Amino acid sequence: MIKVRIPTPLRPLTKNQGEVDIAAGSIGDMVNTLESTYPGIKARLCDDSGELRRFVNIYVNEEDIRFLKGKDTALKAGDEVSIVPAIAGG
Amino acid sequence: MADLVIPQAILDDMVAHAKELAPCECCGLLAGTDQTVTKIYRIKNVVALEGAQQLASFDSAKIAHLERLSPAERAEIAFVMDAQDLAMAQKDMRRNGLTLQVVYHSHPHDPARPSVTDIKIATDYEEYWGKINLPVPAYLLVSLMQHTPDVQTYWIRGGQVTKAAVDVQQ
Repeated sequence: MIKVRIPTPLRPLTKNQGEVDIAAGSIGDMVNTLESTYPGIKARLCDDSGELRRFVNIYVNEEDIRFLKGKDTALKAGDEVSIVPAIAGG
Repeated sequence: MADLVIPQAILDDMVAHAKELAPCECCGLLAGTDQTVTKIYRIKNVVALEGAQQLASFDSAKIAHLERLSPAERAEIAFVMDAQDLAMAQKDMRRNGLTLQVVYHSHPHDPARPSVTDIKIATDYEEYWGKINLPVPAYLLVSLMQHTPDVQTYWIRGGQVTKAAVDVQQ
């Protein structure tokens, strides 16, 4: 299983859970698995072409997936994935 | 003793960034070693992108306000850092042995102190820094409200704001 950390703005979609455990072999697989359990989450993370949106970072064990293999980044049991919204303010 | 040392040239660069983007808000990062800033990273403000306002931890009143504005107008009252730019900056810091010291942004129309939104998001973000392998930074505001730009730096911890002591290095 993979542990996925869900940021506050997405918790309304995950029944207010801050962490969810799912089975997934890659980041793309993880996003689709999350979407099947928590509909609507994929559109918040990816644009219409499936690319990661410009205001979200996904880290696998503290490494940004943009410097791994993006959505093809492989996941193995015990990995921790953090979904982190962009730094923002007003 | 100062919490942070920031070279005058980097302060000037931040103010120039703020003026270039006014009336929109600019944003960026300062990094260095041993509480001394040595490098500035200008980061794109992507608040106008579709959906950015929802994921960026804004409170519901701020989201409602942003959604009433045109994309261009949104950038006058908010910023969302481009995640791609952030990732590049983080990689560059690691390659050069630098540590994140400061998150900065401008207030084109308001004073150089954190807004309610700034405090809320900084407080939310306290739980993320460790997970993305970065230390909790100071927050620097550049105000263009008066003729002379005002620059102030703060710590935001547990929803509490305190002034940071900054030495400017000539």
